Amino acid sequence: MNRAARYLCGLWLGVIVTLLYLPILSVGLASLANTRYMRFPHRDWSLGAYADALNQHETLVLHLTSLKVALVVSVLSVALATLGAMAFARYDWTGRSLFQKMVVLPIFFPQPVLGLALLLFFTAIGITPSWKTAVFAHMVWVLPIVTLVISIRLFGYDPAQEDAARDLGASRWQVLREVTLPHLSPGLVSGGLFAFLLSWSNLPLSVFTTGADTTLPEWLFSRVATNYAPVVSAIAVIATLASVAAGLVVIAGLRLRRSRRGAGSPV
Amino acid sequence: MTDTAGQAPKPVALSLQGLSRQFGTFKALDSVSLDIEEGEFFTIVGPSGSGKTTLLRILAGLDQPTAGRLLLRGADITKMPPNKRPTAMVFQSLALFDHRSVGENVEFALKMRGRPKAERHARALELLDLVQLGHDYHARPVTQCSGGERQRVALARALASDPEILFFDEPLSALDYRLRKTLEVELRELQRRTGRTFVYITHSLEEAMVMSDRIGIMRDGGLVQIGTPAEIYGRPGDRFVARFMGEVNIFELNKGHLTAFDQNLPAGNRFMTAVINGHMVVRPEMLHPVQPEDGGVQFDVTVTEVFHLGSRVQLHLDSVAGQLVAELPASSPLRAGQTVRFGFDPALAHCVPE
Repeated sequence: MNRAARYLCGLWLGVIVTLLYLPILSVGLASLANTRYMRFPHRDWSLGAYADALNQHETLVLHLTSLKVALVVSVLSVALATLGAMAFARYDWTGRSLFQKMVVLPIFFPQPVLGLALLLFFTAIGITPSWKTAVFAHMVWVLPIVTLVISIRLFGYDPAQEDAARDLGASRWQVLREVTLPHLSPGLVSGGLFAFLLSWSNLPLSVFTTGADTTLPEWLFSRVATNYAPVVSAIAVIATLASVAAGLVVIAGLRLRRSRRGAGSPV
Repeated sequence: MTDTAGQAPKPVALSLQGLSRQFGTFKALDSVSLDIEEGEFFTIVGPSGSGKTTLLRILAGLDQPTAGRLLLRGADITKMPPNKRPTAMVFQSLALFDHRSVGENVEFALKMRGRPKAERHARALELLDLVQLGHDYHARPVTQCSGGERQRVALARALASDPEILFFDEPLSALDYRLRKTLEVELRELQRRTGRTFVYITHSLEEAMVMSDRIGIMRDGGLVQIGTPAEIYGRPGDRFVARFMGEVNIFELNKGHLTAFDQNLPAGNRFMTAVINGHMVVRPEMLHPVQPEDGGVQFDVTVTEVFHLGSRVQLHLDSVAGQLVAELPASSPLRAGQTVRFGFDPALAHCVPE
């Protein structure tokens, strides 16, 4: 590639990144205002909205509710998706291909309709909606995606490795620990992250199924729609920074683990 | 050891007694019985789908027979799980643990047995020597090894726990010809050196011939013939075995009458009495140009193709009996399109029953 082409590529990349991040940046700018109405540039720059956000007990409650839902959803989805992926990636049984299609079907269902359907269902069987029903609702939608992510990992390796491990003296438990899990772990981590992020940012399902509890996206949506104040933007920025921080912690943890594992053998 | 093979019966390492395996209505293995002797290199040869992999998996304990018993030195191990058996297998795909280093692969069996790290390491280096890999391979990821190197890693890994019997599931089939030939010889030498019992399966009779003490030919889930390489080559039990051994010409024999040529076998031929109805197996090297006074079975052929095989040429011939294959020294002047008189000596041919 010559110099001009490389320059153009760099420019193109810059444009794309700017287009992606400009809207997010504007939320950050909006949070620095002290008026209810958006006007730019601000007459007064202020961190008052952040002070308000941090002083509100509600900020913590919203984050905790969303975090609780997202964590439970990711743990349960990874566990169930692993079993589901095993069922269709590993074993041949009648109805396997039907199962494979049925598993992915909920992704294609419009989420608001799915949310309403679930609410009607919960009411019909006498369950009061709360964050727990939201967990169930999120999983209906998230589980197919996590199952697909994990099954890619399962399809990508030779199950004879497990036979080989058995043959070389490993018990079933040792096979799982020494061969299957190490191989699946990248899939489990990315599946878990997917589940967490999809649940953390989900609005259409939460709106119908959280009952008296409120998740962060629900609160943000309602406040943006009806009663906007810079504190809404401030909380959005806090939530974004919190998820970026969580992501960095996960990545750093994986790095650390890998470097410790690889100590004996150069990668 | 003096060579008394064939006279004094050797102790039996593995005894297969009526092993069957049914998948639904499909009989993958149909009552296979066989005694594999101590320290023997036994090869099971069969086309794909003949049940040889199923059989090997049952021997290794990775699958259970639906009927029959498996005895290891007289002890019933039919129900013993694979991790408890003193056997090890080299898989067709090799099944190396690709997230581990060469050393970790080789040491796996010892790790599962809870051996201390220093002992494992020493044993791994010893095994790398045995399979002719340098000690620097110990730390290398298996994903960075070539086909031949991976082969050696798989072998070292299987040998680590000092198994009494080694099973091989066509491990060489993915390699190129020269490497395969080298490894065949090395495998045979390794077997001699370690004195272990090797059970090998392959679809290549050629491979089996080079390495084996005895060969079992498998078809449709059953063993159709067991013998030394010389016995199998010289006296195939039926048309299937004969065909399996490469290019052969097979002629129908009906009460001493070769139907295809409308010729009777010469009087006094041993097949006149041995087999009444059957097939005559004529190897390509037995067919050659003849003069009328040479006798034997003679017929006119047209040469359709000439293939050079190095020191020999292979000819495809058109005859009243259909397409035939002959092999002649490379000095043969015959060219495609020529019509000549060919023949063979029926006394040298082999007959199989119908």
